[in-house]
Parts: sequence; C-alpha cells; structure tokens
Amino acid sequence: MTTPQPLRNLRILDLSRIWAGPYCTKLLADMGAEVVKMESLRVYDSHRGPVSPARGIAAYPDAEPGEEPWNRNGWFNCLHMSKYGITLELTSEPGRQVFEQLVSISDVLIENFRQGTLERLGYGYDQLRRCRPDLIYASMPAFGNSGPWQGYVAYGIGQEQLSGMAHMTGYPDEGPMKSGINHGDPITGSHAAGVILAALRYRRRTGQGMFIDVSQQESAVALLGGEVLAYQVTGQEPERRGNRSPYHAPQNAYPCRGDDRWVTIAVKTDGEWQRLAQLIGGDELASDIRFLSNDGRLKDQDALDRIIAAWTADRDAFDLSELLQQAGIAASPVLHGPDLLANPHYASRGTFLEVDHPQVGPKWYPGIAWKMSATPGRVHWPTPTLGQHNYQVYGELLGMPEQEVQSLEEQGVIGTKPTGSRII
Amino acid sequence: MPGLLEGVKVVDLTHHLSGPYCTKLLATLGADVVKVERPREGDPMRYVGPFAPTAGPGVSDDSGSQSLVVPASHPDAARLREAGAWFLYLNTSKRSLTLDLKSPQGHELLLRLVEAADILVENFAPGVMERLGLAYEDLAKVNPSLVVTSISNFGQTGPYRDWKAQEINLYAAGGLMNITGEPDQEPLKEGPPIAQLGAGQNAFVATMTALLHAEDTGQGQHIDVSIAEYATNILENALMQYSYSGQEFTRVGNRGYGRAAWGIYPCQDGYVGIIAGPDQRWPAVADIMEREELADPRFASRHGRQINADEVDALMLPWLLDHDKVDIFKAGQDSGLGFSFVATMQDIVEMEQLESRDYFVEIEHPVAWTLKYPGAPISPHLDRSSQDNSSAQAAEADPQTWIYRRAPLLGEHTREILLEELLCSEDQIGRFKEGGVI
Repeated sequence: MTTPQPLRNLRILDLSRIWAGPYCTKLLADMGAEVVKMESLRVYDSHRGPVSPARGIAAYPDAEPGEEPWNRNGWFNCLHMSKYGITLELTSEPGRQVFEQLVSISDVLIENFRQGTLERLGYGYDQLRRCRPDLIYASMPAFGNSGPWQGYVAYGIGQEQLSGMAHMTGYPDEGPMKSGINHGDPITGSHAAGVILAALRYRRRTGQGMFIDVSQQESAVALLGGEVLAYQVTGQEPERRGNRSPYHAPQNAYPCRGDDRWVTIAVKTDGEWQRLAQLIGGDELASDIRFLSNDGRLKDQDALDRIIAAWTADRDAFDLSELLQQAGIAASPVLHGPDLLANPHYASRGTFLEVDHPQVGPKWYPGIAWKMSATPGRVHWPTPTLGQHNYQVYGELLGMPEQEVQSLEEQGVIGTKPTGSRII
Repeated sequence: MPGLLEGVKVVDLTHHLSGPYCTKLLATLGADVVKVERPREGDPMRYVGPFAPTAGPGVSDDSGSQSLVVPASHPDAARLREAGAWFLYLNTSKRSLTLDLKSPQGHELLLRLVEAADILVENFAPGVMERLGLAYEDLAKVNPSLVVTSISNFGQTGPYRDWKAQEINLYAAGGLMNITGEPDQEPLKEGPPIAQLGAGQNAFVATMTALLHAEDTGQGQHIDVSIAEYATNILENALMQYSYSGQEFTRVGNRGYGRAAWGIYPCQDGYVGIIAGPDQRWPAVADIMEREELADPRFASRHGRQINADEVDALMLPWLLDHDKVDIFKAGQDSGLGFSFVATMQDIVEMEQLESRDYFVEIEHPVAWTLKYPGAPISPHLDRSSQDNSSAQAAEADPQTWIYRRAPLLGEHTREILLEELLCSEDQIGRFKEGGVI
C-alpha cells in the first residue's frame, strides 16, 4: 500500500476555486503533493453549490441536497480528493496571522481570484515573499496580471470563446457551439501544474522562488496555436465543419439503433475506405468512382454520409465499432455517462474509481489521470467536508495548541459551517 | 539563456499532435529535445496544411486539392514539409535528427541517445516500441533512471488498446461528445483537437512528476497516458451527475446546463457569450440591455432562468442584435459580469489584451516566413514582483523562462548530433547516409 509518492515533499497552499485551479492541484494531489485547500466560511468555493439549493438538482446524491449540501455536491467532490480542507477568514487579524504562518511553511501558493484580490488584502507577491522567501506563487486570473483586461472576469465557458475554440466548433452553416464542459479550466489547470513542477525543479537548483502569472486566456489560445498560424498563412478563418475533417473523409457521427445512439467513424486512407465500402455495399460501392480517392470523398461528403447513415441506422453502435475496428477502421460509439462506468475497457484500466465519502456514501469518480509504473498515484481520502482538517492542519502542521484552535473557532475565524450564502 | 528545464535531455519519438505538444512544452521551457524523425519523410504532421505559401503569408497557393494533406511524394514536398502551420507551431525549440529505427545502426544510435537522456516520449500505437526492440524494459536496461512517457489512444492495456482512432473517436469514447451539440441533432466534436492536445498537456505534467522523482531517487519509470482517458478525466458534470443521482446529462446546445443567459448568442457583428452569474449580478443584465422586463423576479434565480429560458432569450435578443461583440463584452465586464465574445482568429491575432502582454512571439523561418506564434501558456517571472507587471518588464522576463526557436527543418541537426554528441566520424556519417540510416 505504501508505494512512494513522487510529490511527497511538495506542500501547496491552495486558495483556488471552481475548476481551473482545483484541477491543477488535483493532478498534483493525486501524485502525493500535500495540498491544503483553504476556503472562507463567508464565501466558500462556489463549486460546492448554494447553501440552500432547490431540491431535485442532479449534482446531489439521489438529487437530495441533504442537511449540508455544500459537502454533498458531486461536481465539487470529484476535484478535491486527497486534499486537506481548511477554512480561514483572511479579513480578520487572527486569521491573517495564521495565514502568514501557513504561507511560511508552503512551497507553492495558488489562487484564481479576480485579479488583484489577494493584493488588496495585503498579500501581493512581495508581502508573501516576506513570509516565505523562496515561495512559488501562481496567480491565475482570467486575463493575467497585466494589460487592459486584467480586471475582467471569465469562466471556462468564456475561455472557449475568447481562445477561438468556439469559433471553430459547431454544425456546418450554423453558429458557434459551446462544449458540454468548460474546456478552458482543465487546460489552464494542467498547464499550470506542469509549470509549477518546472519552477520547483528550478528552485531546487537555484534556491529561487518565482511569481507565475497565469492568464487563463493565453493558456487556452496555446491549444489553438496551429490555427493562429494557419490564419496568418492563408488569411482565411477556419470553417465550422461539424464532425467532418478538413483532411480526410468520411468522418462523422452516424445514427444507430436505440435512443440517441451514435457511432463515430473516421476513414483516413483509401485502403480503409475500401474495407468500409465492402462492409456497407460490397464491390459496387467499393468501385464507385466518386469515392475512390480522398479528394473525391471530400468533395461528395453529403452523399457519402447518407450512404453510411443508412447502413448504421438499424445497427448497434457497440457491435458496429467492434466490427469496424476488426476491419482496421477507426470507430467508436458515442458513450453516455452510464456507458462509461459499465465499459469493460475503462473497468480493466481502473479509469474510474469508487470512493466512499462520509456524507455521500460510495460513488464513482474520474480517477488518476495517467498510469505510472513505479509510483502510481492514488486516492488517499475522499474530498474533505468544509473545514474538515482544521484541527489537523492548525494543530499538527502549524503546532498550535488545541485551545488556540478552539479560540479561532469561537471567534468565527475557522469553522465547518458556512456563515454566508454568497456564491461568487 | 537558461530555461527552467536547463540541462534536461529529451529523446522525442513523437509525431502528429499529442506527443509533440508534450515535448513542445518541455522544449520551450529549456529542455534539449531531440526530435527523432523517419529519414526522408519525417513526422507525418509535416504534410498537413495549410502551408505557408511561396509568395509569403496571406497569399494562397492553389493546389486544386480538396484536402489539406499532401502526399510525401508531392513535387513540392521538400518545401511544404517545412511550412505546415500546425507542424511549425508544435515543434518550436526542438532539434531534428533523422534515424531509421528499424536498422541495426539506427537502433544502436538511439540507445546511445537514450543512455544520456532524462526523458523519452513516444506516441506510437501500443506494441510498436516493443517491435522496435525499444520496450520500456529494453530502455531501462540502458538507463535505469530514464522517464519513458507513452501517449496512445486508449492506453497500453485493456480491450481497446489496439483500437484505431482519430480525434472524433476519442472525443466520443471519452464521453465528451455525447454532451456537446444540440439535443435534436447529432453529437458534436470540438473543432480543435482538444483531446489529443489535452492528453499531451497531462503527459507533460506526468513527465515532470516522474522527472522530479527520478532526480530524487534515481528511479525511472514508464508512464501510460491515454487520450480517451484525458476526456474522461475532465468530465466533471456528465459523469458526476449520473454517478450521484442516476440522471443522465444530455446535450443542451448553447444553453449552459439548460438555462438561459449562460451561453453563446448572436449579436450584430458575430457572437457573444452571455454569462448571467452570479445571481446577485443578474439585475445588471436588465440595466445593460435596457429591458426592465428582464428584472422580473421570475428570472432572478438560475432555476428561474432555466424554466423560462425561451422568454429570457427573446427579451435579450433585440438588444444583442443591435450591438457589437466587443462592446457587449465590455459592457458586461464593466458591470462585473463575465461576458465574453466568440473570437475569430483575426480577433485573436489583433487582441489588445494579448498585444499588451506581448503574448505573441515573432519567429523567423527560412521557408515559412515570419509569423506570430502564440507564446507562453503560463508566464513564470523569475524574481519579479507582482507589482512590476508592466508589459515591458514582462517581456524582459519571459525569455529567461520560455525559449522560442523555430521548428527544425527535417534532419537539420542530424550531423551536429552525430558528430558532437554521439561522437561519430565523418566516415561513419557518410555510411549511415548511404545506408538510409539517417
């Protein structure tokens, strides 16, 4: 059970909220970093949901918010496993003293407040460095810490738009389309995690900490780099192509038997097309001169898609995928939530993990993002409830006597029950 | 110029998208990345257009082809393979070495590179490395502290291990496609190849983790990154909703989570993102759009906007269609609302915020001309105060942490690496060339 954890010597004070920052520290916590997630009782991480949500919201177990809904929200509970959960009011004097002690024992501080928030509380990089001279401070506001838009806010959904992602996504001849998630968040979180580790390595060699300025927007545009260059060389905006490819055809999602069932098929080479055509329409389709070359298939995609869709319509998406893969053709069913958890491939790899949370019970979650042979990451404990580790962190980590921790609790500087309902 | 990863040596056996993005991050952070390419052809991504035209940027070369991909046998291939937009972007700051890994000499030369390396990254189909005699065990024998990162469609194990896939298939198998698009139309993939590039990002984090461990302990290891699993790992909403309450998360088009005013809307000159949250800021929307009806208490909560979505949309549209995207964006932001707009590539290249932060890096290239490349996804500032955030200082700080050189020409560094690092003689190099090894 005690496999060595590769990031065991890394302590992160995590003030980040929602998804971008929490995804960053999730990746690091999965690898053994000691992540201390700090929240305010007045304004907790809004991903926990409202203090009194309406009943029937599906993010709660059996759609029941329960007595402490902030501890029972699945969207929140999938992002903070193996982290320590503490609360602290930064606006109170005793809270500030404790915060400075926390900074002094942390390698990294990460936050994604609106730009300048921490500085207005008196904790710019210079002040933080006084507590911890070699601190690595990652600040991740929407548009970074400079420029005319630095005070603006954006959610992950906004980053899909401001990065060019949404512009390229959508059905042909229709408007841009948002994704089902907010891609901007995990993109920023993952970039930040890697750069924090690079900064840590640099610090090991030089003793120098650093200020890491993260613009969530710049991080998202980085994934569109090839399109940014393509625009410059052609002067043309990218087209919205739905599920089709500018490189090869056919490629699309085709309807299958059942309710909202689809198979995705992508044909790249002439050989693949020949095999697909044989399966669909034998020699007649395989020798159809319209479709012999990739150029021809690209030109006549509507006809091609109609032929394929007629073939797939009364077949099972899973059976078809197996059949096509056996013929060496790229295909996959469009998996729904239940399909993912039942899928034999993911089951065999432990892609999803069942974790028992004290206020939720055993539930399935996305697991560790990759496999490592010598130091596999693991879930150490479920997402902490609000303030769950206050005594452990303030007592054991900071070495405060128990009466002092109690006194903080009595003053409302720390605690386990929200004192405000403002969701930001 | 020192980078954060100065002194880290990477053998890069990747091609296409996912692997090259991982090694691009390592290279631009200062690692020495040797991109090993097939002799004569190189990375297949070299043949994917659009290509920088002969006459300079913005002038189209009409090839008459429907596809953006050219065959390696194309008469102009020697020029085109140096000028593909995605290839140029994904391979900045790397060196190119051509090597036939199937030849005994090529194999031997690769193992000598591996001996001196810290990291090897590959994204062949599972099983190819074994067939090349380069299984993890073979590599670890030569260099026990080596970090080997493998990126593949479905991972190195499991029933789908050998499944073929393009981006669309991975987006579908990872659960993201089911929740993207209109409920009464087919599920939709993202325009850009997010699953592959995202997996490349996570591979970078995993590689950095293992590198720190190897530097601590001398222990190397094998990392297995699956592109489909990247998608499953970022499925917070769809998976959690089903896991917690048994309710399926379905496609809702542009209405985020089914509610109004949380998604993309048309406006006078394009499209904008209206984000009407948090609830206490909703009244500001009525003010901005000069529609008192929007302040109706029925619309005050998320839930209220969800059940009255059509009505809310109808009230907002006239004002939106009468205003420009950037003005709408700024009107929202100035009232504290996280409005956005759907940026075109032109908008991005000219965006005042990106300009003021010197985000773009101009890189000269002998074939592809000078282009503006998106720069650092994250900007570490060495020993710099957060208050010193004027663009001039930021620009001055960046070169210390991110190092940008143009993508290498095919085999551009073969000679230099063989002579100086593998200590081959001119004679040997000549024989390798004749034998097609390099």
